[in-house]
This record gives sequence, C-alpha cells and structure tokens, in this order.
Amino acid sequence: MKLPSSIRRRRTVVALVAAMVAIVPTATAAMAASPSPSPTVSVPHGASTFTVGFQQDVDNLNPFIGILASTYEVWGVTYDFLVGYSQKNFSPEPDLASSWQESPDHTQWTFHLHHGVKWSDGVPMTSADVVYTFNRIINNSFEQTNYGNYVANIKSVTAPDANTVVFTVSKPTPIMLHMLVPILPEHIWKNISEKAVQSYPNENIVGTGPFILEQHVTGQFLRFRANPNYFLGAPHIKELVFRIFQDESTMVAALRKGEIDFADSLKSTSFNALKSVKNITTVPAVYSGFDEIAMNTGAATTTGQPIGDGNPALKDVRVRQAIQYAIDRKTLVDKVLGGYGSVGSSVIPPIYSALHWDPGNTAYTFDLNKANQILDNAGYKRGANGVRVSPSGKPLTFRLMGRSDSPTSRQTVQYVQNWLQQIGIQTNVSIVSEDNLTQIIGNGDFDLFEWGWVVEPDPDYQLSTFTCAQRSTKSGGTITAGLSDSFYCNPAFDQLYQQQSVTTNLNARAAIVKSAQAMLYRDANYAVTYYYDNLEAYRNDRFTNFKPQPDPGGSLLFQYGAYSYRFIEPVSDAVTTSSKTGLSLGIGAVVVLLLIGGGMFLARRSRSAAEDRE
Amino acid sequence: MAVVVQAEAGPAPEVPGPSSRGSGGSGTGGYVLRKILGSLASLFFVTVLNFFMFRVIAADPVKNLTRNRNISVAAQALERKRLGLDQNIWHQFLTYLGGLPHGYLGVSFKYGKPVTSVIGSAIWPTLLLVGTSTILATIIGLWIGIRAGWNRDSKFDRISTGVTLTLYSMPEFWLGMLMILVFALGWGPIPGIFPTSGLIDPNLSYGSIQGMLNVAWHLVLPVTTLTLVYLADYSLIMRATLLDETTEDYILTARAKGLRDAVIRQRHAVPNALLPTFTLLILSLGFVVGGAITVETVFSIPGLGLLSYTAIQGPDYPLLEGVFLLFTAAVIVANLIADLCYPLLDPRVRRT
Repeated sequence: MKLPSSIRRRRTVVALVAAMVAIVPTATAAMAASPSPSPTVSVPHGASTFTVGFQQDVDNLNPFIGILASTYEVWGVTYDFLVGYSQKNFSPEPDLASSWQESPDHTQWTFHLHHGVKWSDGVPMTSADVVYTFNRIINNSFEQTNYGNYVANIKSVTAPDANTVVFTVSKPTPIMLHMLVPILPEHIWKNISEKAVQSYPNENIVGTGPFILEQHVTGQFLRFRANPNYFLGAPHIKELVFRIFQDESTMVAALRKGEIDFADSLKSTSFNALKSVKNITTVPAVYSGFDEIAMNTGAATTTGQPIGDGNPALKDVRVRQAIQYAIDRKTLVDKVLGGYGSVGSSVIPPIYSALHWDPGNTAYTFDLNKANQILDNAGYKRGANGVRVSPSGKPLTFRLMGRSDSPTSRQTVQYVQNWLQQIGIQTNVSIVSEDNLTQIIGNGDFDLFEWGWVVEPDPDYQLSTFTCAQRSTKSGGTITAGLSDSFYCNPAFDQLYQQQSVTTNLNARAAIVKSAQAMLYRDANYAVTYYYDNLEAYRNDRFTNFKPQPDPGGSLLFQYGAYSYRFIEPVSDAVTTSSKTGLSLGIGAVVVLLLIGGGMFLARRSRSAAEDRE
Repeated sequence: MAVVVQAEAGPAPEVPGPSSRGSGGSGTGGYVLRKILGSLASLFFVTVLNFFMFRVIAADPVKNLTRNRNISVAAQALERKRLGLDQNIWHQFLTYLGGLPHGYLGVSFKYGKPVTSVIGSAIWPTLLLVGTSTILATIIGLWIGIRAGWNRDSKFDRISTGVTLTLYSMPEFWLGMLMILVFALGWGPIPGIFPTSGLIDPNLSYGSIQGMLNVAWHLVLPVTTLTLVYLADYSLIMRATLLDETTEDYILTARAKGLRDAVIRQRHAVPNALLPTFTLLILSLGFVVGGAITVETVFSIPGLGLLSYTAIQGPDYPLLEGVFLLFTAAVIVANLIADLCYPLLDPRVRRT
C-alpha cells in the first residue's frame, strides 16, 4: 500500500510522540499493579505530615526477614516491644508490658500487659499474641535467624490470663528486659506457615504501634497515618512519610527546599553548609557507633587450630599497645570526622553512660616516644631501612586494610600508616570492599583493618564478639567466620562475659561489663579510634518538640523507640504545602501538553513542508 | 523542517518486505533463521556465564547478609541450607537452569522476594527514564545532526557540535546535580518549580490521572539530564554520515536535475545516511533496561541500574543472575532486531 507521503510522515511523527506520551501512563499503570497498600483517600500533604529522608531503602517488612536499619525504623513506628528503652538513658521502660517482676530464684519473669490495647485492624491485643510471637520463634528455625539469641534461655512462655505473660528461663537472664522482638498478631501470622513466612512480604502491617502503614511505593516512600488509639497516647501529627533517597546531596537539597522535614546521617560538609540556612536546625547527636583499628591477635578456630597468615608479632600485647600509643585519635576526630565525634577508648560507647568504662589516666594518649620506647624495650630493633625487626628476625611489616565503602575508613588508614611509620612499623595499605574484607577476616588473612560497630543498649552482643567461642570454625576445608574479627581469646574475659550474661541486677551487671571493657582495653585487640556523631538537621519552621535519646545530646530519630515521632508538633504558623500537589499537577499537565502539542506542530509542519514541495 | 527527517527513519512502506519477492525466499528465510538461532545460542552462553561469573566473587553471601547480626554458627548453616548454598555448584546450576523455562529466577537473598517481582518493580522506572530520554535524544539529535551536517562549518554546526560534545563529556551525576540546584532549588530569577527527586508524591498513586501527571512532572529533570548527555551520540553520527553523502555523485546528479536543496537533503541524502543512526538507536534500546545508574542515584529513581548495584553487594546471586540475564537478553534481542531490519532498510544488505 502506498500512502501519500504527507500522510506517511505525519503518521510516523505522531506515532513517535504518541509512544512517548503513552509510556508514562503505561508504566505508571504497570507500577500501580504491584502489590502494596494503596491509598483509600488522598490526604493533602499538609502541615502535619512529617517527612523524613532515608538514605537506605527498606529490604523486607517481614520482621523475620528484614535486617536494615531503615526497616527497623518502620517496625519501630508500627509495632511495640514488651519492654522499651527509656528516652532519657535507655533504661527499661514500660511498653506493651506496664510492669514486670523477676522471681527471687531468677527462673520466672512475669509481665503484666496494658489493658485495652488493640491491633491496627481493631482486634484486641492479648497475652495470647505475646505467647504466640515467642513460641513461633522458639519452635521454628527460620524465625530464629533474627531473634534466636533473645530466646536461647527461655524454656516456656505461658499466659495465665489475658493480660499476663510468664516466661520460665533456664538460668538468670538479664536480656529479658531488652528483647527487641516486635510483638505480632496471632490472628494474622498463624495463617502463614513456616515455609510461607520465608518470602512473606508483610506489606499490610498489622501492629499496635503509634502509626499505621498506609502506602508503600517500592524505592520511593512509605506513608503512615497516626494511630488515634495508640495506647501510650496518639501522636500529634497526622501523617508520617519516610522518603527514600539514593544520594545524600539530593536529600540535602530536598531539605533546603522543604520537600522533607528531617535528614539524618549527614556528611560533615553538608552539615556545615546547612548550619547557616534559614529555618533549619542542625544537631550533632551522640551516637552508639565506634570505629576501630582491629588487630589479628593470632587467628585460630574455636578449637585453637591456627588459621590464616597474620604477622605473629601482633600476638605480642606490647606491639599492640605501642600501636595504641601511636594513634592520634584527636586528629582523627578533627580531620576525618570534621570534629563531629569524640576520641575512642572502650568498646561500649559513652552514650550508654551506665555501662561505658572510661580509662581515665590509663588512656593510650598519643605519644610516639612512648610507643617507640615500648618497642625498644620489647626487643624490636630498627633495621637498616628504619623498619623494626622482631627478636625472631621477622620485620614489623603489616597489611592495613580500609573499606572502599567508607570515605572515613579510607582517610583513617592513611593517617594510621603515617603514624606507624614513625615508630618503625611499615604498613601496606589496601582498600577493599566490606564484602571481601568479611571473607578475609574470617580466614584470618590480615594484620590490621579499619571497621566499626554500632552497639546495642544491651552489652551482651558486643561483648560476645570478643569471646573465644566466636572465633572461626572449620569443618572439612571450609572456614566459617564467627563474630570475632580480632580472634581475641582470653579465658578470664570469657568468664566475665558469662557472669554478666546471668546477672540480672542492673548495677552488679554494669560493674562486670566495665571490668570486661577494662580487660579488653589493656589487651589492646582493638584500637578504638573514635565515637562518631549522627549529624541530623530538621526544618524548625515546620516541626518542634523533638525528643532526643539519650536526653540531652542523643539522636532525634532512629532511636530505640518512637519518641520524636510521637511527640513532635507542627509549628502553629507552618506554611501549608497542600498547594504543592496542585502545582505539580499543573506542571505535569503542561509537560504532557507540550509533548502532544509539539508533536502535532511538527507533524503539521512536516505535512506543509511536504505539500510545499509537491 | 525538523522531524520531516524523522519521518524517513521508520521502515518506509515503499521498501518491500524481505519475504515478498526477489531472489529466493529460502535465502531470506535462511538468513532470518540463522540470526535467530545465533541469538538463542548467545543467550544460552550468557546464561551459563552469568551463573558462574558471579560465583567467582570471593565473598560469602550468608556471612555478608548476616554480618553484625546476633546469629549463631548453627543458624548460619541453616540459612546457607535455606538459600541452597550448601549444595555443590553443579547442583545449584541445574536447579537454576531448571527454573528458567518456568520463568522462575529464584528468591532474592536480600529482599526475600521472588527475583521476578523485585525486577518487575524496578523495570518500569528505568523504562520511563531511559526509554523516554533515548527517544527524545534520537529525535533532537537527528535534527541537530542533519542541520549541522548539511550546512557544514555554519554557525549552527560549530555551536551545536561544541555544545553537544560538552554535554556528552559531562559527568551525568554532575549535570543532574546542577539541574537540581538550578531548577529544583531555584537560582537567581529561575524559580525552583521541579521536585528534587523521586517519581511521585507520597499522597498519590501511580494508577490515577493525578499520579501520572505527577510522574511526568518528576521526570522532567532526570529525562532532560539524560537527553542532553545522549544527544551527541545521535547528532554526531548523523552529522558524520550525512557529510559523507554530500560528496556522492547522486547528490551532484540531483543538483544537476535542478532539485531544490531541501528536497535533495530530505529525499536523497538523509535516507541514505540513516542506517548507522538506526543501528545506534536499536542497539541503545537494548541498553535501555541497563538503566542509568548515576542519574538514577542522583534523582533517587529506583530503577534497574541501582538494583544491579545493590545486588552486587552480598552478593545476592539470584538477583544478580536475574538482572544480568535481562540486560544481556535485551542487548541480544536488540541486535537481532537490527539484523532483521537491515534488509528492510538497505537493499544492498538484502542482496548479499
């Protein structure tokens, strides 16, 4: 078929433009088909919608699958624990349980639940739900991956009445007040088999928390509405949005513009730039994380069989202590963290004031002379090239690994390399991905590396990473890494660890935890470099009454609890942004019209041009 | 004048189909069959390669995914078993191959969801972003290339070549950030009317008219960024091939016949110069699903580029295999289409 050329041309152009115009509705329709709770009513984005910028997408909203901090924040506002962490100082505080007692013989814990608590679908929450949640973890294997350590000592969970739960434990168990286990509704989860739960997406969260998940658009945002019946008091905002950003500088732009109200985990450069911006409050919050230079104290398996190829000089505590004296922690805080942090000492950060051990005048303060002196006295003489040689003739040449995923890590290892050179220790720096470093550490194929931990309010887990039992295991030819990354093994420390894990008196336990930290500090398996701040910023023209944890000085969001979300209030004269949606619609329409109009214009031109010619 | 050119880009009906007539239908059929079989062989080869390539990465997904979690060695072993990583690699490979005919690509380690659904939710944002940009860049690029090539060394030629080359060599993320600073935050007299990032406002859904318009509004800056970066690809190729044509004898003949300049260009020079550009377009369409990782990052668009990046961390084998299978399949299909279309566009190819 031969069409007049003018028609042909116009057709092609129109088809191309149509394809472009059609791609938006087609794609959006396809995306809309993805399973997620969709909004029933469109609520205008008003003054009482609090929007938080997340730098990490959620992985899976199923509490048995997800592991990311962003996902924990979602559960934090939608679920409750049995016992919470106080806003003031992380001490145990009533959550679903209003009170509790431990039996005098330490074998039973009785929790009394709040009365009249309802799930977000209206079903009453009872002790049966608590029993169900814990039994589900205790009786199944997959469910233990996230929560197994909390239930290790629990023999049985029973419910004498609708508002009481009794746990029988095999030995004294202080972690009973620190179980980060979201309580789940039995009427929902009983229908999900152990097989099905392994891929259950839990997109329609039914919880007891202060907010209810309303809409989740993968990779874009999660929108919640306030739970007006929240048993600890309804939030003062109507809506909460977690918006996902893949790039920190874009998130900062969104905060400046007012698209979001809160930004967290900022870089020090962005943070400094935001300080002078009108209507933005910047908060350098103390945080529960530390970074360290970890040392290979003699890699071995749990049976004591040596593995890896670490330099044996690091088995000598004097070499490790000399390294401690050679690290200028103050300079690292100033240069690497831009001043937002504090010098590091022990492995429980000072944010946990009741548990943190301070070395006082035994601290390893930066002193290169002292470091040199220690090595001289220990018989590590300098060779011709300035590199020290061990008494057995092996040079003090260490591999030092930094993480490619972290700019601060890369910077830190450069500084450390320079300092160690001044005490006659040569380091070969390499920068590797965290994935690969994990493998290298597990096999013991390292000398020194830079990494860090974020420490839970309960010290058990952090201390466990230094026990002999957490070294790697070997079966056949395969080495499986444990939690230990310095291969520290000291029976005296193991004993302290055991003691604290069966001491339920808070003060007595704190004393043991402090001795354990002191022992680690002396043995110098880690050179804790610094405790870094969490740099946060928010729109003070929109929201007020944030609640830091700990108070004062702590993070305003990403807490153990949902304090700020529950208590923040819109600033009374906040500018409403509901007009934004209208504007967006207008501009969206203009864009589409331009595309169509442009296409038609071009089509007409092509036709007229063609006619001209013929 | 602009898109007149574009009109010729499509397979013009006056060119007869390969099967219709001519020197031996079986020859053409053989050609098509050979190309299809070749593509299938490539597809199988990359499927095998994708599987083994990622297993070479010296990292243990179970350890990496459970890192910093309070999880016992026994629980790690259970997790390994659940993910099928305790089996030997050939067993794992056969399981993987066995799933493919059913469209089953396994369950993502990281997301705990079927790979097909994880990819499914990332593919549309990418098609929107990269697909729209590619089409726009083709249309505008061809127009620029034709004008510049036909009037070589004109002011338009020099300016357009300079500008498109500058944009081409600009890092995408940097251009994107400039866009955000100027058009989202506002700069001087320019109002910041566009959103900084994302695809849709948090109170709309994709399914509604409002939602679609909102998505179009969100896409303006990222699509503009990518279009600007892609422009030079098309304009420079079009310009170069058109320049070659201008020295051909048939152009001289056309001029001798007394045809007007515009007619010579549109009806004689441009159609002959279109083949390389067409090849480029079809091949680029194959790469569309690969996403544009930097622009996706800057504008927080959850597309396939970003997904492939997250999949490498772990590594999340099933997701990596799925994403790369899609990438390679798209490129192979695009190549096949290009191969099959050549005879339609260029009679010289048909005869060989």
